[in-house]
Amino acid sequence: MEMNNFDVIIVGSGLLGLSTAYHAQKAGGRVIVVDRGPVAYEASSRATGYLSLRADDPDEAPLATLAEKHWNTLDEELGYPTEWTPKGRLWVAFSDKQVDELREIHKAFQRADDSFELIDADACRKLIPILSKEARAGVYTPRSGHANPQRVSQAYAWAFQDLGGVILENTPVYSVIVESGKVKGVRTNSGEIYADRVVLCAAGYNAKLLEPFGVNFPVASVRLEALVTTPLPHMYDVGFIGLNGLSIRQTKRGNLHANGGPHEWVDVDADREPAKPNTPIVRNLVRRIIEAFPVAAGTQLLRTWAGVLDITRDQKSILHRFENPEGLLAAAGGGHGFGMAPAVGIAMAELTLQGRTDAPIQRLSLDRFGTLSREWKTEKKWNAGEYNT
Amino acid sequence: MGGKRIVIVGASRLGCELALAARAEDNEVTLIDEHPQQLKSMSFDAPYFYGSGLPASLSDETAVFDNVLSSNELLLECVENEVDVKIGVVAWGAFHNTDNSQHIGTPKVGIVSREGNELLEYDHLVLATGSRDFVPSFKGWELPGVFGGKAGTKLIEAYQCFNGSRCLVLGTTPLAVEFARAAKERGIEIAGFVEPTSEFQSSEADLAWLQLASLPVFYESVILEARGTDKVTSATLIATNGSWALTNLDCDAVCVAIGTLPNIELPAAMGCEMYFDGTVPAWLPKTNANLQTSVGGVFWLSQFGGQTDQVNRILSATDNAASGTGGESTLSSNARESAQYIGLWVSKLNELGGSDVVLCQCETVTRGEFLNLQPPKYLQAGMRHAHDPLTGGDTEPKINQDLVKRMTRVGMGHCQGKRCRDEAALMLAQRFGVPLESIRPASYRFPVRPIDMSLIAAEDDDYHTREKWPHWMHEEVVPESVAGSVEK
Repeated sequence: MEMNNFDVIIVGSGLLGLSTAYHAQKAGGRVIVVDRGPVAYEASSRATGYLSLRADDPDEAPLATLAEKHWNTLDEELGYPTEWTPKGRLWVAFSDKQVDELREIHKAFQRADDSFELIDADACRKLIPILSKEARAGVYTPRSGHANPQRVSQAYAWAFQDLGGVILENTPVYSVIVESGKVKGVRTNSGEIYADRVVLCAAGYNAKLLEPFGVNFPVASVRLEALVTTPLPHMYDVGFIGLNGLSIRQTKRGNLHANGGPHEWVDVDADREPAKPNTPIVRNLVRRIIEAFPVAAGTQLLRTWAGVLDITRDQKSILHRFENPEGLLAAAGGGHGFGMAPAVGIAMAELTLQGRTDAPIQRLSLDRFGTLSREWKTEKKWNAGEYNT
Repeated sequence: MGGKRIVIVGASRLGCELALAARAEDNEVTLIDEHPQQLKSMSFDAPYFYGSGLPASLSDETAVFDNVLSSNELLLECVENEVDVKIGVVAWGAFHNTDNSQHIGTPKVGIVSREGNELLEYDHLVLATGSRDFVPSFKGWELPGVFGGKAGTKLIEAYQCFNGSRCLVLGTTPLAVEFARAAKERGIEIAGFVEPTSEFQSSEADLAWLQLASLPVFYESVILEARGTDKVTSATLIATNGSWALTNLDCDAVCVAIGTLPNIELPAAMGCEMYFDGTVPAWLPKTNANLQTSVGGVFWLSQFGGQTDQVNRILSATDNAASGTGGESTLSSNARESAQYIGLWVSKLNELGGSDVVLCQCETVTRGEFLNLQPPKYLQAGMRHAHDPLTGGDTEPKINQDLVKRMTRVGMGHCQGKRCRDEAALMLAQRFGVPLESIRPASYRFPVRPIDMSLIAAEDDDYHTREKWPHWMHEEVVPESVAGSVEK
C-alpha cells in the first residue's frame, strides 16, 4: 500500500475516529484510519448504546443537541442500519433514597433543558409495562434514545470506505512523528505513514501518545461489565436507567441488554488488546435486572462481557487542535462518547481540514485543564487496579 | 502430600481417572459434570447436537439421573472413593486475578445446578471438558430426527432414550460406526452410511462389520435434503462426482457423524492463551509440560492435541510429588485427516446445496445472507454497498469472526454459536481463500451455557454490595459541572 498519499491520519478506529474519518473524507480529504486491533473492537462496540444528552451540562449540551439532530438521519446518511430508537429515556427510583436522588437529577437536568419531567410510578409503567411494582417515580424525557453500538460503528466504517477511505487494522501506532514543529506522520509496527495532519482518537492511549509533547491529556480507562438475556417479545422502547445502578435497553431482537455496577480502572498499551474479564459481580447484575423487571426471571442469561472505556477528568468530551506541533489534534469521550460521536466527527473533521469549526465546541478544548495536576489520576483514585470511586 | 482443593470439570474417562488418582493422594477432589442435562438445556445442542427431536421420556428426571450415573462405571467409582461428585451441574464460568481484574481474591469456579448457583474456590482447576459434535448445515437439518453422532451415542448408552427406528448415518468415521453399533444393539435399523469420497474413513475391522451386517455405504455422496413436515421421513442424497445423481431413502432419523471438536468455551473465556491446531481443526489452550495452561493452576486434559500420560503429568504438577499411581487409558486419537474431512463436507454441502440453506438455526440466517454480511430480516434494512469481511492491509488476522457475527447475528442467538460457529468459520475460509488460522474466532464469554436468570441471580447480595453498589460514576450523579468544577 502506498503510504504517502494521505492528508489525514486518524489513530483509532473507534466511533470517534470513524466519525471524524467519515466527515473528513466526505469533505474531500484523503484519510487513513489506523488501529491496533479490529475496527471498533473496544468501547465503541461494547457501549450501552444510549445517546446521553448531558442536558445538565451547559458546556456540552449544544454539541449534544447537534449530535441528536444527526442521529435522526444517520441511517440515511451512512446507508446502513443503526437500530436508532428515538423513544426517549427514563430514570426510575425504587426506594426512598433513590427518590431523593431522582429529585436531584431532575433539578440538575432542568438547568440546561426543560424537557425533563418528574412522573409517578403509573406513568413509568405506561412506558415500561414490565417495570416492577417497587418502582416509585421516574424522570422522563422524550428526547434522544438508543442504538446498536456494533451496527453504528460498522455503518461509519463502511460509509467511510464507500467514499474511498482506508482502514488499516491490527497495526499499532507507537508515536507521532514531528519535524520542525510540524506533524509529519506516525510510526507503526510495520513502518511509517505520512500525512501533515494526525488526529488522535485512541481513547486512553491518547495520553501516552501525547506524553512526548508535554501534554497532560486527562483521560483514564475503566473496565465495566455488561450482559444480555435471551429475547422477550417486544416490551418497551424507552432507554431505562435504573437508580438501582443499572441501564437496560430492549434490543430490536428482543433481548434485555444491561450494564452497570462496579468498575475497575485499568491501563492500556500500544500493542496489546486490553483484557476484558468478567467477574462474579454479573450475578448481582442479574439480581438487579430481576428486581427492576420481574419478568426477566423467566429469561436466560445468554452472555456476559466487559468493555474498557475512556473517561475524561470532568466527564465531558475533549476536542482539541494543538498549535504546537502544528497539524496535531486529539479527541476523547467523557464516558458517553457513543451518543456524541456524530457531532464530534463533524467538528473534528472541520478542525482538521479547515483549522476551525462552527460546531459549538468552544468550551471543550484541553484549555479547561490548564491548571490540572499531573497527579490527577492519583488524586481521583483512578489509577489502574482501583475499584469504583 | 495432597490436601489441595482440586476441581475437575468433566466426568469423561480422563476426568474420572484424574479424580481417582488425585483422591488417592488425599486431595479434596470435586468432579463436576453437566450430564444428566435438563431437557431444556439439551435443546441448545450443547455439548452435543441433540437436535429438536428429543424423546419426551427425558423429562422423567429421576430415571434419567439413574440411567446416566449407572452408565458411567468410573464415575460410580469416584463416588465410592469420596470424590465430591456433582452431576447435572454446569461450570458456567471461572474467575481469577488477572490483567484488569485484581479484586477476585482466591480463584473460583462458578457452578449452577437445578437449584441455584455457588462459587467454588480451588487450588487447581482441571478442564476436561471433552468434545462435541460438528454438524454442518443442509436443507432440513433443523427437523426433529437430525442429531449428531456424539448425541446419538450418549442418548442410547447413557440417557437410554432414543427416538427413531431407521437411521441414516452421515460419515464413515469411527464415531459413525460407534453410533451404528450402539443403535443396532437397541434394534434400530441403519439405512446406510453417506460418504463424500470413495474411501471408507474408519478401520478395516469396522468396514468388515458393516459388510457382515449388510449395511450399505453410499460413496461419493452427501446429503442434499432431509425431508419431512414435523419430523424426518426421508432423505435425498446427491452425488459428489459431478453427475448430480439423486438417491432417495426412507428414514426417520439422520445421525451426523462427520467429526467432533473440543469444548474450549471455558478455557477460552477464562483467558487461557490459545493456539490453532490445524489437524483438529480448532483452537486449543497452550499448555506446558504439566498440561498447565497460561492461567496459573488451570490445567487442560483432553484427547485433542495428541498428548499422552496426561493424568500423571497433571498430578505431578498439582502435588509437588513424584506420582506413580493412576494408569491412564490410551484413547484412540482423533482421525488424522479429520480437519480435511470436515472441510470437504462443508465444501460439498455448500457447492451442491446452494446458498439459501439456513446456516444459523437460532436466528434463521441463510448461508448467502451470512456471506454477504446482510442485516437480519427483522430490521427490514439493506446495505448501500456490498462489503466483505476482509481486513485491509497485509496484517493478520484477515477476518474477524466477531464482525461477521455482529452484522449477521450468526452465532449470536440462543445457542451462542454452538451449532454454527465452526461451520461459519470454515465457510469464510473457503469463500475468501483465507486459512482457518487467519480468522480470528468469535470471542467466547461466560456463561458457557445459557442459564436461567432465576438460578444465577446472586443470593449473597450483602449489605455492602447493596448500599455501595455504584452507579456509573456514582459520586457524580450530580456532575461536577453543576456542583462546580475544580478546573474552573
